[in-house]
Formats: sequence, C-alpha cells, structure tokens
Amino acid sequence: MRRRTPLSSRRLGLAPVAWIAFILYGMFLLYPLVRSFLFSFTDRSPLQTDSDFVGLDNYRELLSDDRLMDSLMFTGIVVVSVTVVANAAGLLLAMILNRSTANYRVMRTLIFIPQVLSGVVVGFIWRSLLTQNGLLNQLLEQIGVIDEPVAWLGSSGLATFSICAVVSWVTIAFATVVYTASLQSVPRELYEAARMDGTGAFGRFRHVTLPMVAPGMTISVVLCLITTLKLYDVIAVLTGGGPANSTESTALYLVNVAFTGNRFGYASAIAMLLLALTAVVSYVVTSLLRRREVSL
Amino acid sequence: MDRYDNRDPPGGRAFDQIIKEDGMKRRRSTFAMVTGLMTALALTGCSTSESGGSGGGSGGSDLTFMTFETPALTADFWDSSIAEAEEVAGVQVSKIVTPNADRTAYAKQLQASGQFPDILSSINPKDFTGADLLEPFDQAWLEENFTDPDGNAIDGATYIPPSNSQIIPLVFYNKTIFAEHDLEVPTTWDEFVNVVTTLREADVTPVQLAGGEPWSASLPLAGIITADVLGANPDWIQQRYAGDVSFTDPEMVSAVGKYRQLIEAGAFDDNALGVNYADANADFLAGGAAMYPMGSWFIGQIPAEDAADFGTFLLPSETGEAVVPFNTGGTTSVSSGSSDVEGAVEFAQAWSLSTDNMRTLIETDGAFPMLSNVPFEDFGAEVTEVYTDAYRFVTDEPLQVSAFGQVNNDDALPPGLVDQFNALSQALFTDGDVEGQLATFDGAWDQAASAQ
Repeated sequence: MRRRTPLSSRRLGLAPVAWIAFILYGMFLLYPLVRSFLFSFTDRSPLQTDSDFVGLDNYRELLSDDRLMDSLMFTGIVVVSVTVVANAAGLLLAMILNRSTANYRVMRTLIFIPQVLSGVVVGFIWRSLLTQNGLLNQLLEQIGVIDEPVAWLGSSGLATFSICAVVSWVTIAFATVVYTASLQSVPRELYEAARMDGTGAFGRFRHVTLPMVAPGMTISVVLCLITTLKLYDVIAVLTGGGPANSTESTALYLVNVAFTGNRFGYASAIAMLLLALTAVVSYVVTSLLRRREVSL
Repeated sequence: MDRYDNRDPPGGRAFDQIIKEDGMKRRRSTFAMVTGLMTALALTGCSTSESGGSGGGSGGSDLTFMTFETPALTADFWDSSIAEAEEVAGVQVSKIVTPNADRTAYAKQLQASGQFPDILSSINPKDFTGADLLEPFDQAWLEENFTDPDGNAIDGATYIPPSNSQIIPLVFYNKTIFAEHDLEVPTTWDEFVNVVTTLREADVTPVQLAGGEPWSASLPLAGIITADVLGANPDWIQQRYAGDVSFTDPEMVSAVGKYRQLIEAGAFDDNALGVNYADANADFLAGGAAMYPMGSWFIGQIPAEDAADFGTFLLPSETGEAVVPFNTGGTTSVSSGSSDVEGAVEFAQAWSLSTDNMRTLIETDGAFPMLSNVPFEDFGAEVTEVYTDAYRFVTDEPLQVSAFGQVNNDDALPPGLVDQFNALSQALFTDGDVEGQLATFDGAWDQAASAQ
C-alpha cells in the first residue's frame, strides 16, 4: 500500500512556488508601495530621476486641495451606491437563479460575463450606448419615453448616475456568484423545517437565508467596497472625469496629478491617502459584518 | 515510485539524514534560484533606463516612434510614412501607438517607466523641455526648410519642426441654413450674438458643441479669449508667466463672460455636454446646427460632395478686427536620451519634409503646409473649396496670434493647465460665477507654473 507523502517532503516540493509567489508579491506590490511611500515625501516628477525631500508638504497640501475633496466625495457616492445596489441585486438574482437545471446554470454564466470583461471594454461598450446618438436614446425615443435625446453623460447628476449604473452592472455579476455559492451551501432541511413551522417566504428569507449567506455577504460587500474605492478604468473611458471634473474619482485624479500635472510626489501622497482610506473602510466594514454574522 | 518513500532508503544512508541533506540542497538551490530571479527581474523590470532606443550609434539602429491614430491618420498612414522615412534615415523604427488622444500624458507614463520613445508625434514639448528630454532641431535646417522657422520655438530652441499650421478654432457654418434665415456671416460680436438669437428663435441649434469631450468642449471659449484678449495683446501669455496680468483682469473676465452670454442665449443645445466629437461632427454635417467652432482639421471631415454647403469664418473679436487663432503645427519630436539621437533626428527630419505625408495631412487633416521649398501644387493634394476658403486666413496674413491653450511654443500653458481650462469651459454651463472660477484658475496657473 502506498503511504502518504511526509509533510516535510511536501513542504520541500512547494517551497519554490511559495518563494516565487513571495517574490512576485514583493516586486509588484511591496516594492511599488514602499517606493510610492518614499516618493510622497518628495517633489518628484515623472520626467526627472532626481527629486528633493519636501517633508510633509504633500500631506499638508491634501488638506487644502478642493479638487481632491470633490473627488473623494464623488468616490464616496459611487462606493455607497454601487455596494448597496450590487449586493441587493446580487442576492435577489442569486435567489432567483439558485436552481440546478441547465437553463439556470447557463443564465448564471451569462450574468457573470460583465465581471470577466476589462473595465476599459465595459467603458467603451457603455459609452457607445449612452452617447447622444447611442442605442439607449434611440430605443427610448422609439418607444416614446423621451422626445429628445437625454445627455446621460452630459450633466453632473446624470453622469454620476450613469457611472453608478455601469459599475453596478459589473459588480452585480460578482455579487451574484458569491451569493449563489453561499445559497448552495444552505441545507434544504432548514427551509423544510421553517415551512413545517408555518414560516412564510419573508420569514424564511429573514431567519434562514440571511443568516446563512452572512459570511458571503461580508466577502461581497468588502470586495465591492475595495473595487469601487480604487475605480479608474471605467470612468476614464466613460466620462474622463467630466463634465467639469464632476465625475473624477480619486484614483483618476491621482493619475491626472501624476501624469498631466507632472507631480509624482503629490500623487504618491494621494495614493497613500487612498490606501489608508481603503484599509480603514475595509477593516471597519469587515469587523461590523463579522459581528453581525455572529448576532444573526 | 515516490523518491522519498521510506520503504526503499537509497544508498544505505539513514533516510532522515538524506531528507535533511536533500532539503538543505533544495533550500540552497531554491535560494539561489530566487536570488537569481530577483536580480534578473530587478535589472529588467524595475530599471529606469534613460533611453528608449535599443540601437547603437547612427545607421541601422532600432528606434521607437510614438504615434496616435485617428479616423484621418490611420495605421496605414503611419506605417507607410514610417517606411518612407526609415529609408531616408537608414534606421528601423517600431511604432508605439498611444491608447487615446492624450499623447503628452502617455509619453510621461512611458518616461516614468523607462520607455521614453526615441521619436514622439504631436506632444506638447513644453512639458518636457524643463527636464531636458527633447533634442532641439538645427536652426539652419529649420531656416532652410520652413516658412516660419521659429513658429514652435521655446526659449529660442525648436523641438517640433514647424511643417504645417492650423486655425483653432475656425467657425464652420452651414450656408443653406444661413440662407434660409437670411443671415450674413457675422464680423462683429454683436452680429454674432444676433445670428445666435435669430437661429434660436427659429428653433434651429445655433452652435454645435462636442461638449462631451473636454478638449473639444473648450474650443469656443478658447476662440473668444484668443480673439479678444490675445488679439488685443499678443504678449498676454508671456505677461501672465511674468505675473504682470491675471485671469481676473477685466479684459479676461469680459471675454469669458461672453461665453456665459452665449450659453444663456441658447447658443448650444441643453444636452451639449453629452455630445461626443464623432456625434457632433455627424450632426453638424447632417444639418443639425448652423455653426460649429472647431479646429481647421475638421475640413478633412467634410465630404467633397457636400463641401459647397459649408463655409468658414473667424470668431469675431470685440473690436471687429479679424484675429486668427493660429497654431504652428508639426509632428516629430526627438528624445535627447535616444541611443541614436542622430538617427532619430534624421528620421524626424525626413518624416517632416515628406511631401507624401504632407499631402495626406492636407487632404485628411486640413493642414496648411509651411514647407518653404515646396509650392502648394507640388503636394498634389486634392482639396475642397472649404479648404481654399480657410487657407486665405493663413496666406492673406491677417493678425495671427497664438491659439489659447493649443500651441506648442513659448505661449503654451503650464503642464496640466489645459485640462483645467477644458474643465472650466464645461463648468461655465452650470456655474455663472465667472470671476470666482477665473480666480481659481489663476491659482492653478501659479501652482502649475511653479512646478515646471
């Protein structure tokens, strides 16, 4: 009879893989992070290799940068809207599609497609749909909903709404998959027991489904938050931050500061702020949702 | 069989000892492999080489050329133009195509990652000259080949051959719509406003605006500032750099106020900021609006069979004097850090003097040639009457001043300011506080200029 491979041998076999992973992590995450942190104390430009140490000047400037504050406000609106919509719609879709027949499996695959598209592709697709002569306006005009084209990307309010809708379209796909996986791990017996106790549909949702998908909800909410906090590609293609910078996310502003304003040092300080913000928000939300998992 | 199956200890040595030694060897070899890999990656992926080229010395070297593609300047155009210049300069050139229209920002990204191209097309040189990244062209060569050899000069040096020129913006108008409403081409601001009012009352869109894209949204405002402020004082930009004037001065506030006046008079459609460049072009060509302030490159978008329906005029100035918002164009800049500067310069010069390239630029991009040794007829370009009509603004030599925010010479705005100006032009649609916004822009100018 073949014996199990000793643990020490398996460790030896995996060691190179772990090292490679560590190196890749170090080179593509830790190294840029440390460099960016160091740059944030300098007046570095993308055009020059030398720079001067400016102490905390860049961080002080963050406090008085109105455009940064506007971008943080816009990012906050997108983060909250998309996280709420994506998780509510994702859970709803997962409950509808939580069947094992082939049709539902195909539908689950179709719903996941937006998640595998690159943000740039998503941006281009929706830009062509939302422009003045785009498909959406043509459709709405033909069915008599509107008399003249709507500027979906042409005013601050509508452009913000459009961006939230497009980003939600992508993140709903992810949330649906997470919630579907969570729902499939819920024992059928729990629903049957609830039915036998005379619990209605809402009661089963409130007392069986929600507690059982709580761990999945924690994952989905936190990943949605992180994804939207660093949102760049969809906005860059869809509106470019306009009109009048009204849809400029913090990540987009950061890139503009670095490569249009030639202020790599200050852009690095913004990046550090965004990193800290993401870490704090993720930690707080994760803690709250984990506590909620226990209480449920 | 598994090598470490302890039923079959090899060589008679204690199995644990073998495991230990083998483990140490593996750890050493893993460590060596990891160290080697890290070193290799550090030397390749993380290096910030100064040069983008890979060749060595002039003649036969391999160079990179950052290009951009538009409906007019297609991949085929770039390929054939590169092949022609390669032959003249004796170098091999690979294209790097920008992902969008912002060539200058992309060039900075390439520089930041150690991949600055050897030759770059249509960047704003002023963003790079402070870091000595560009090679100036020989003054004698410029004087020998171009009608305005100093048209692109920055502090006395030229980094883009001044091979052609543009008017930014030129007002295109639909002759049929003008005739239907008994309108004459306006020559004063009041006449222009009257035309706008008449058209709006007749439920015709007076002015087409590609407001969905910041660069095109700003062209009417840039035209008004050029006509009024730079037309009255062509040194205004230099005086702003020196701190002698500001954006809150009465003449600038008045000029920008005129743009608000147009917005309030209904010159643009309500959803103008949602219209992209392609849709705006199509709408105007289809008769959707009476006028369209756009760069002279739009001439190339007007089909020859429709050309008789369209004319051009200059945006009227406050005084009524004709002021041409002029931009000396050109394409090729050369990296001073190229591994073969001489070869790159030869390539750039050959590209700029190519009559085939110029013919394409004339026909598809509405470019006005400025090569001193080539009569217009020798380009063999087929042009429409719209082109001929607009060309008079270059050849008749009315007052030509730098087109605000559009030029590549000393009058270029500080890095990042063009984007802020574009945003300002969009913000004026919803924010009537002209003076307040100009004060903010003034502050942004000071910050950007000090970071140069």
